[in-house]
Amino acid sequence: MIWWNRLSAKMKALIGRKQLDRDLEEELRFHLDMQQQAGAHDARRQFGNVTSLKEACRERWTLARLELWWQDARYSVRTLSLNPGFAATAITVLALGIGVNATVFTLVNAVLFKDQPFENSDKILYVTGTRPARGGDYQSISYPDYQDLRAQSKSFESLAAFETDGASLSDDAGFAEHYRGLRISANGFSAIGQKPVMGRGFSPADEAPGATPVAMVSYRLWETRYGRSSSVIGKTVRINVEPTVIIGVMGGGFLFPGETDVWRPLIPAAEFAQRDHRFLTLFGKLADGESLSSAQAELSTVAWRLAREYRQTNQATGIVIRSFNQLALRRELRYMFLAMLGAVAFVLMIACANAANLMLGRAVGRGREISIRVALGAGRWRIIRQLLMESVMLASAAGALGWFVAKSGAGMFARAIASTGPPPWLDFSLDYRVFFYICAISVTSGILFGLAPAIRLSRLDVIRALKDGGRSAGTGRRGNFLSGFLVTVEMALAVVLLAGAGIMIRLFLANVTQPIGVDTRNILTMELALPTSRYPGDREQTAFFDRLTKEAAAIPGVRTAAIASSVPGTQTLTYQYQLEGDAPVEKAAVPRVEGVVAGDGYFPVLQTGVLRGRDFAETDRAGAAPVVIVNQLFAAKSWPGQDPVGKRLRLWHPNPRQAQSAAAQPFATVVGVAPDILQDSPEMAPLIYLPYRQEPQWSMALMVRAAVPVKTLGDALRRALQSLDAELPASRPVTTLDERIDQNRWPLRVFGTLFTVFAAIALALASIGLYAVVAQSVTRRRHEIGLRLAVGAGQSGILRLVFAKGLRQLAIGLAIGLPIAFALSQVLQQAMDMPVSHVADVLAGAALILSLAGILGCIVPAMRAMRVDPAITLRHE
Amino acid sequence: MAKKEERANGELVQGTLDMLVLKTLTRGAMHGYGIAQFIQQVSDEVLRVEEGSLYPALHRLEVDGIIASEWGLSENNRRAKFYRLTPLGRKQLAKESEKWSRLSDAIARVMLSGVGPWPAQ
Repeated sequence: MIWWNRLSAKMKALIGRKQLDRDLEEELRFHLDMQQQAGAHDARRQFGNVTSLKEACRERWTLARLELWWQDARYSVRTLSLNPGFAATAITVLALGIGVNATVFTLVNAVLFKDQPFENSDKILYVTGTRPARGGDYQSISYPDYQDLRAQSKSFESLAAFETDGASLSDDAGFAEHYRGLRISANGFSAIGQKPVMGRGFSPADEAPGATPVAMVSYRLWETRYGRSSSVIGKTVRINVEPTVIIGVMGGGFLFPGETDVWRPLIPAAEFAQRDHRFLTLFGKLADGESLSSAQAELSTVAWRLAREYRQTNQATGIVIRSFNQLALRRELRYMFLAMLGAVAFVLMIACANAANLMLGRAVGRGREISIRVALGAGRWRIIRQLLMESVMLASAAGALGWFVAKSGAGMFARAIASTGPPPWLDFSLDYRVFFYICAISVTSGILFGLAPAIRLSRLDVIRALKDGGRSAGTGRRGNFLSGFLVTVEMALAVVLLAGAGIMIRLFLANVTQPIGVDTRNILTMELALPTSRYPGDREQTAFFDRLTKEAAAIPGVRTAAIASSVPGTQTLTYQYQLEGDAPVEKAAVPRVEGVVAGDGYFPVLQTGVLRGRDFAETDRAGAAPVVIVNQLFAAKSWPGQDPVGKRLRLWHPNPRQAQSAAAQPFATVVGVAPDILQDSPEMAPLIYLPYRQEPQWSMALMVRAAVPVKTLGDALRRALQSLDAELPASRPVTTLDERIDQNRWPLRVFGTLFTVFAAIALALASIGLYAVVAQSVTRRRHEIGLRLAVGAGQSGILRLVFAKGLRQLAIGLAIGLPIAFALSQVLQQAMDMPVSHVADVLAGAALILSLAGILGCIVPAMRAMRVDPAITLRHE
Repeated sequence: MAKKEERANGELVQGTLDMLVLKTLTRGAMHGYGIAQFIQQVSDEVLRVEEGSLYPALHRLEVDGIIASEWGLSENNRRAKFYRLTPLGRKQLAKESEKWSRLSDAIARVMLSGVGPWPAQ
């Protein structure tokens, strides 16, 4: 009770301070007067020290510690606002550093920490198999193993299983669409506590052999395809041609386990009984009191038992339990994001070094103030605490700005990648983790960059400082050294960051900015895969694509149409080859080449033509002599200096199901040379083209070049497809060729841009840092410069003086930083497999750019130094 | 707040002062001067309350919520701050007096236990 009274009394007193003082004064005065009235003439003396009595009483009402902090805070704000230029610069510098850090942390947060968007998703774990022989622990699990694990383990409330598949859905509501689908055990949704918002979920009857095929669909599928009509429940549609009844719709945002729109029960087929037919991933909710490690231990024991019992199939087979995040994100992506965190940590350190230097510079003028405070009785720790409070305030203000920087940065990033590629469960919103991160790094940076100046100032020689007006505070050899040291550190950090970022940028942007080699505008692409069930043989596939090409070409507005196994800029097929006349080599050394299977009119669609020889023709069909077109690079590599037309080579697939020996392959004749077109590699590469009719594929892309704006033809293309086969969907949305190429490149472009931004910020900060230090030294030495000019030093002499200092620090910084940058570049080069020359370029470039920035930073102070008027400076001491 | 023994020369230490102030206030609301006067008079000038200890004590007791204050008019029509006991204060007083009487009984027992001087009744 008493402590509560105390707290609330003191809190109230915080507000009514003045009134309190007046009352106290009056109360004591009253007592004094009464004493005098009662005749005590020495009442005054008896009363004692009024001031200290007042203090004693007042003290009862104060929250002593809070008062101190509040006092310090107000003082800090006052001193900071006395020098708004300094405060603004420091806050800007820090806001850049903190903001960039917060942005990257938001991205990292989204990628590394977030989970499925439904309740208890952190308790839902996923089980996959490990088979060291097969290499890796993302192996699938077989149906009998699943049943045994489910029966013999208690760590999960219930264990369920799923298998991903594709679902081509067709009905009378629109074009056939291809969705990501899932085969899921009937207890699947209840295992994670999710119910449909309409209709019903799966029951064990649905997964009995011979049951009527049923399916559940996602909310967004229901919304886009059926306009949220309730008639969808009970509707029979065709999924992969099979008539299926839709029995339920799941809630909005539910796309378990990721981007999945169609769920069907896991109906056992004959091969399920085989223990070595592995195709399932298991999942379930942890039972109360269990943890990942206890579940892992229990299921591992079961797996071990199964391995002993079924030696033939389960030897050395274990299981791994993971969270969703660990399952969905492979190592490479994690490392990429961690690398970004490292880069921005550097940026922040540079920013802190900058801010520390700014504070040191400001310390010069504060010697007097500090020494007065010390003389009045402030303890050393009090001074340090107050100075640190100033720097933490600056950092906090920067942190607040940094929040907004992060918000817009994450927003920009999310928009940039929205249309292409990434999983939608990546949510780049700024949550409480980001907030705490910003607070943490703000306070830490504040203390970090404020510590050195604070300690230096607190150790002031008070007498000397008071005597000469505090001018020498913060200077002297140690002060200069510290300042120079900080700049050198900044330069070193900057060069390392520039080198690292430069390598990453080189890697990314080199790929992205490479021209394709042909005009890719105005081309629409549609990719499809023919199900082998309805198109079992070459004849059916060829016939279909022939008809499709004709139908597409007949669409009004289309100039030309053609098919190809891959469109430019995307991944190709791989072939092994042997040139005629080459001696056969052993299996491991057989050369490989990338290839594209092209239909008639491929090159005309790309508005290019064969450079030598001829294009494919109708005569190049199945049964006729095998022909091939090579690109210039391949020709130059295989037959340098000769005409490739007429040369022959053998081609075969690297991993055929039937063993194919080189000798069994017939020779194909080169009939033409094509221009170099970029596919899915960083640079132009040798490429071969095979005629579609001789090398039919079941998955091809249709390209049409249009005379009209290409986007308008999307529906027409799909209708053409539907007219040929109503069940067949496009495997990706119909897009323009440019979009398709961008989709392939988006991660590179995004990361490349990010690293460019980091490097630019680091560069700006480093050169601001050097500028600040040199400017401060010029200001400090104005007197000296005036003197020098007066006794005859020329302008160039002064220039040399100023530049010498700045460049010396730059040189030392480079000397320290370049070896580190070199080491880093070696690591990156190995990891990214880049050519060594690129790395050398980047290092040289980094050093050069930083030097230029440093010189730039020195120029302005140098010019100011030159303009010093000795008459003025010598007069004003 | 160590509760020390009352010193022979009539000065009061903190714990005992609190108790006496509270007891005084059972007679009704009083201002600081009045409290000091009362204690002095009733104890026959043996106990002298210094302002230097009284007012800090009063303010401390007020912050703790043991006494409450109110501005009013004194006997000679001057504005003065009057203090009164709160319910919490009454409880506190009861506690303190109980402790005090136990203490003085204990001292008495020790003093009566052997041979030697004991103040005449």
